[in-house]
Amino acid sequence: MTISEPLSLKNKASNIGFIFFGLIGILPFVAAFVYALLYSFGLVGAANSGFTTEFWISTWQSGAFIKSLVYSTVVAGTSIFISVSIALWLTLKFRKELEHPILAFAMYLPLAIPGIVAAFFTFQLLAKAGFFSRIAYAFGWITEARQFPDLVNDPYAIGIIATFISIVTPFLLLLFLNVYKNERVDELAQLSQSLGANKQQTVWRVSLPVVLNKTWTLIGLYFIFLLGAYEVPLILGQESPQMLSVLIIREIKQYDLSRLSEGYVVAVIYTVIVTTAAVLLFSRKNDVKHEG
Amino acid sequence: MDFKLIILCLLFWSCGDQNKTVEKDPLLDSWEEVTKASEGTTVHFMMWQGSPVVNEYINNYVIPTLKKEHNIDLQIVSGQGPEIVQMVMGEKEAGVKNSQIDIVWINGETFFQLKKIEGLWGPFVQKLPNATYINFDDPHISIDFQQSIEGMESPWGMSQFALIYDSLEVPNPPRNLEALEQYIKAKPGTFTISNDFSGMSLLKSFLAELSGSPNGLDGPFDAEKYEVLSKKLWEYINRNKKYFWKEGVTFPKEHSKMDQMFASGELSISFGFSEGAIEEKVNRGLYPKSTRAYAWENGTVLNSNYIGIVHNAPNKAGALQVINFLISPEAQLTKADPNGMDANPVLDLQKLPEAWRKKFEELPKRKYGAELSELSKNAIQEPAPEYMIKLYDDFRTFVIEK
Amino acid sequence: MSSMKANWKFFFLAALVILVVFPFAYLLLLSMASEWRFPELWPAYFGMRNWEQVVSSETGLISSFLVSTGISFSVATMSTFIGFFISRGIAYHPYKRTITLLTYFPYILAPVVFAACLSYFFLKLGLFGKPVGVFVAQFMVAFPYALIFFSSFWGEKTKSYEELVATLGGNQLQAFRKVLLPIAKNMLIICFFQTFLISWFEYGLTSIIGVGKVQTLTIKVFLFIKESNFYYGALSCCLLILPPVLLLYINKRYVFNKLI
Repeated sequence: MTISEPLSLKNKASNIGFIFFGLIGILPFVAAFVYALLYSFGLVGAANSGFTTEFWISTWQSGAFIKSLVYSTVVAGTSIFISVSIALWLTLKFRKELEHPILAFAMYLPLAIPGIVAAFFTFQLLAKAGFFSRIAYAFGWITEARQFPDLVNDPYAIGIIATFISIVTPFLLLLFLNVYKNERVDELAQLSQSLGANKQQTVWRVSLPVVLNKTWTLIGLYFIFLLGAYEVPLILGQESPQMLSVLIIREIKQYDLSRLSEGYVVAVIYTVIVTTAAVLLFSRKNDVKHEG
Repeated sequence: MDFKLIILCLLFWSCGDQNKTVEKDPLLDSWEEVTKASEGTTVHFMMWQGSPVVNEYINNYVIPTLKKEHNIDLQIVSGQGPEIVQMVMGEKEAGVKNSQIDIVWINGETFFQLKKIEGLWGPFVQKLPNATYINFDDPHISIDFQQSIEGMESPWGMSQFALIYDSLEVPNPPRNLEALEQYIKAKPGTFTISNDFSGMSLLKSFLAELSGSPNGLDGPFDAEKYEVLSKKLWEYINRNKKYFWKEGVTFPKEHSKMDQMFASGELSISFGFSEGAIEEKVNRGLYPKSTRAYAWENGTVLNSNYIGIVHNAPNKAGALQVINFLISPEAQLTKADPNGMDANPVLDLQKLPEAWRKKFEELPKRKYGAELSELSKNAIQEPAPEYMIKLYDDFRTFVIEK
Repeated sequence: MSSMKANWKFFFLAALVILVVFPFAYLLLLSMASEWRFPELWPAYFGMRNWEQVVSSETGLISSFLVSTGISFSVATMSTFIGFFISRGIAYHPYKRTITLLTYFPYILAPVVFAACLSYFFLKLGLFGKPVGVFVAQFMVAFPYALIFFSSFWGEKTKSYEELVATLGGNQLQAFRKVLLPIAKNMLIICFFQTFLISWFEYGLTSIIGVGKVQTLTIKVFLFIKESNFYYGALSCCLLILPPVLLLYINKRYVFNKLI
């Protein structure tokens, strides 16, 4: 049979493919995790001297980790919630107008701005000597920079949340508009209205559920991304509590070499949380459909 | 596309570098041989890049001049203190023979940690021809954070920590803890402590004052003394931090941010090394002309900063050549220009040839900043490095996270 | 009534456009400013000085631009092509779902944490502080992205095409060259630009694996922020967002990914 030859060739090629995938896609992840785990128990690291649970205990007792976890969750959650709300509102209210070529282009522009630039820009705008503060001064609302309210490096993470929203909302808006079109939500809405539902009911019972149902995996994914965000909270956050990535890196890079392991403890916990979330997110029904 | 080939390529690519043989020890060579060996090479210099004037000096003077005069490519790698220690330690753990970096800009606490993990190469300082211009009998040069440098790091600059203020806005700046307390109560929100090297240096001054004398922290680290004094210090700060910038809820991470806030009037007192580093900022119009610098009554730290060679530096000859250039009269003169980096030379003018001495003496004087000679009346020695490391940790635990 | 409503919508949308354009304008303005002290609303110096200095002096921004371009181009090319071929094997594999889930792992972890835990191995392999190390690190994130991106391409349709080629006597190579690659052309281009941008915007992995030696543009932006040199910071931001804006102008779809 002529088929056997190409088949074996195919198998060989796909085997190499899988080896490569394992080497690049899986091995580094496992290696990083195992290394962090060993480090957290003092089994590797020049300043460590063998197995100990002291770092796990001290991390637990210091409370910095729990604070950071709660803080990160609240900041990421708030940002996602507000972003989803704005994007949904814009979608429902303006989807027709947003088809105008200028608007259609403008909607894409924010995607050209990475987190680090967004954070830099937010700082320039909202700092006490920033652009808004200068405007407030020009209007005579304040007479000194220090009178301007705390908007960056502030205790309520206003700067961080504002930046997250400005990064995530454009993505979500484009996503929702796409789903709206692809799922023919308009037709569904018309149908429901012709069946006697009023406008409110149509929005809450038909349009929103359809759009959210199609996108919640991605929204969850965004939440995970924000949970681990680094550049934005590094520039706009305060010294305590810090978001998870900032905390981990600070502890791994600290002066006191004998305490580096505490950073790895947090890294291990963070990795476990995030992977569990991912498993929950993706192992349920729809694997993410992608329509190129 | 052949994936095996790609993997193989990657493997070769990555391993190729480690097969380089380690060069022979240039400490045994004559200086001519060092010069010859260093020509046409690249030297990696890991340094703190947080100051525009320092970067300007390095980028627009040191790099081009080294290239022209010695045909050496100097590459700057950003990193300081703990990053340097971790880099060296990480390479040790992984058994890397040729480091990513050759030379590092350090001071006491980093020197201490690098010595602890045997991360430095040397002693090399006496090998440098230009070292003859340095007075190693000066304790501010030969003693770094209470440790003898023993030729393992070359002095590069010397400076005193100073506080700065706008003399029009604050006619009588606080010079001790009691005055500071009254001052911030009267002007809440205008003072803070950066959570970095500069901020910790201020805390050392405070700690020394609490000890009761300028020499209170001299000598080896005394854990008991530290416990007593630091307790008082945290009590003092926590008692007053509601009058700090942002009510003491947070502290700036970088010192450069404090400079910005001082410039915009958000803070009315700031501080820094190089006697406060105000000259260039006034000249650029960033700070008002009425800005002045002063030392704490009980003294602020006066120290030198140094350059070391890492134990596994791949280009030791080049490293020696670069450091020798950095302490040359020529490089130190440019570095001392008040309109430039404005750093005190580490060279002893009495040891310099007549022509060079003249040039140094003819340098314009600072118009706004204080001269080291007058400020150093209120100088204290750098305490042992453990104080710094402890302060870092405890400032976070007992103040920031409180 | 309805005209008032239309008016309200018009103004709102106009404001939205201004809001979107504002950061670009402001960053450009800031990049051309100097000596802009509080509380001035307009900088004391405004002109091309910063931009001229970038070209002439040793700030290294031009070389950063080139390093960034080189790394991102390599990452995008490799991950797109390798991703395309390997995603086929995964899509036809019986354990497709499990493998896809695994693909997400390196992708969802904060890059900076991932890099910190990996740096030991990069040191060991001699990849630390080298452009090739940064390339490998970024590839580890861009490659899974490409796998996920192409997973929807393979299906019954492509299978039947491949079978058709086989029955017509063509081999695998021909199936790829003559049929599959041409159909996938558009997706390949989009994936290339997406992975290009993943690499172009990357900071966490680069800062740790590159140890500050591999100074891509994002690293530069951060250095300038650290030294409070906002004018150069803005300038490097401009360099950073220029290529994506250009891509957007060519084709919006190059920049938007529904995936992440």
